[in-house]
Amino acid sequence: MRRLHWAASLFMGLAAVVVLMPIVVVSAAALNGGRSMAFPPENPTFDRFVEFFVSEPVWTTALWNSIVISVSAAALSVLIAWPVAYWLWRANDGLSKVLAGLAAMPFALPPIVFGVGLGFLWSFTGALGQMWAGVLSLAALFAALPLVTISIGLQSIDKALLEAAATMGATEGVSFRTIVLPQTIPYTMSGFFFALVLSFNEFIVMFFVSSSSYATVTLQIFNSLRNGFTPTMAVAAITFITVSVVAFSLVARFGDLPRLMGADTTRR
Amino acid sequence: MSVETADPPMAPPDVDRGPGLSGYFMVRIAFCVAVAALCLLPFLMVIAISFGEKVEGAGWHFAFDLTNYRRFFVGADWPNSTSTLYLQKLGWSIYYAVIASVIAVVSAFPFTYFLTRLTRKAQTLWLVFLLSSLSLSEVFIVMGWDILLSARSGLPMVFQETGLTQWLKDMGWFDTLRDWGLASPRNVKFKTSVFATVLTMSYLVWPYAVILLYPALSRLDPSLIEAARTMGARPWTVIRTVVIPSVKLALIGTVLLLFVFLLGTYVAVTVFAAPAQQTLAVSIYEAVRGATLNAPFGSAQAVVLLVTAVILLVIGQKLSTAGGKG
Repeated sequence: MRRLHWAASLFMGLAAVVVLMPIVVVSAAALNGGRSMAFPPENPTFDRFVEFFVSEPVWTTALWNSIVISVSAAALSVLIAWPVAYWLWRANDGLSKVLAGLAAMPFALPPIVFGVGLGFLWSFTGALGQMWAGVLSLAALFAALPLVTISIGLQSIDKALLEAAATMGATEGVSFRTIVLPQTIPYTMSGFFFALVLSFNEFIVMFFVSSSSYATVTLQIFNSLRNGFTPTMAVAAITFITVSVVAFSLVARFGDLPRLMGADTTRR
Repeated sequence: MSVETADPPMAPPDVDRGPGLSGYFMVRIAFCVAVAALCLLPFLMVIAISFGEKVEGAGWHFAFDLTNYRRFFVGADWPNSTSTLYLQKLGWSIYYAVIASVIAVVSAFPFTYFLTRLTRKAQTLWLVFLLSSLSLSEVFIVMGWDILLSARSGLPMVFQETGLTQWLKDMGWFDTLRDWGLASPRNVKFKTSVFATVLTMSYLVWPYAVILLYPALSRLDPSLIEAARTMGARPWTVIRTVVIPSVKLALIGTVLLLFVFLLGTYVAVTVFAAPAQQTLAVSIYEAVRGATLNAPFGSAQAVVLLVTAVILLVIGQKLSTAGGKG
């Protein structure tokens, strides 16, 4: 079954072309010399890149906000997910199941509803428009991702190893440090990168919790929508694609991506 | 998963019967409360505020008032007159989401099946590609399709230049397209239309469809397929009688999950749908942050969207547990 029929390969190739089409068009538009999003680009130039990364404060601030928020949110989502996943794995009792359900809920339901609710929550606590509130919001939204990857990692640990450690007198703390932690690090990192990339690209929740007092890159693009698309936005798109490809390549490099995605590992 | 086999030696470190235990317990309780506050409270607040009352100006206060729901289902002026404006918006939300999720799953299914037949290394490469496109913000995807579908530099121009428009006119199909709202007198036109909205929405979730179908298809027992093949079944027969029945639940579950995800689509609908065909998500935004500023009514609409999503998720859950037993 290793070799695919030519029609199957053709179908996969066509699917890849369709997936790539809008991405390529947006990326190419970044090279436009003028202010319009012509395709193919007119007077190709790299000026838009300079504008986005260096000279336009609107974009450089937005980029910095995006980086700060997505990195903190991803780290926090891992910190939320770890205890939940660990309790679920060790105890598997009612409370831990409820907790896991709660942590997964924001991701499973329409994000616009969660965004509206967070907007109310933060305006009650007086934190609406604060960046840390945005970080907490995204961490809650994406905690489900590290929760899943860490759970997969914990399930891969051989119970016999833990029992052997316990027989030899290791406390839970010791076996946690020497067995559990090292074996789950790749899965934790994968969860971190998933949350990072999705936080970086998140729009609707950020929109409700930022309350226009600060902008991330996605928000900034949406704000500029009414003036029409400009090539500088396309540079932002390229940045996003690059971040995603790098992050997921790292996941694939350090972890087993097919297994993380639920492939059967017993078969090659 | 033999989690229950964790034996007494594996008890938490601080179980030294005494202050340690209560300290550990307190931390655990505090953590549960924090997670609940962050993940559950926003939903509860939306539900609570949906019963609230709008105050003149932009404010509102808590109340127990069903006005917002009445306005949603039968119109503000009921019983003098009935308006189904918001039910229609819910209808559009469901309409777009159903069509887009079905299209995504139907086209992702053969793709994923072929993907799982590739080598591990090729699968990894495809997954990196798909995950990268999946994580792209809705804003960018809409931007890309907006350029592709725009009259000046996108597909309509390609249609014009390659003579496809002329050919359509010669064949007499152009008028059909005009009836569907997909053409102006001179050339094909994709914005604004149901077609553009559904296309962008199914593009948005297509990589999700692949990722959700991937586990089921990659766990498919290859010997089953080989057996059917050696018994002389043609490839199409194998797919129809072996592959599809064994992943039927995954297919239905995926459609449901994508549907729930698409219910809240905002950017694609605001850009590509005609004003009369916009969805509940747009109207929620208008009420909470946009022009109309009526937070309680926005919340009531959000609750309706939430209930629709929960009903479908519960159906999905029921189906998958029923399938697991059978």
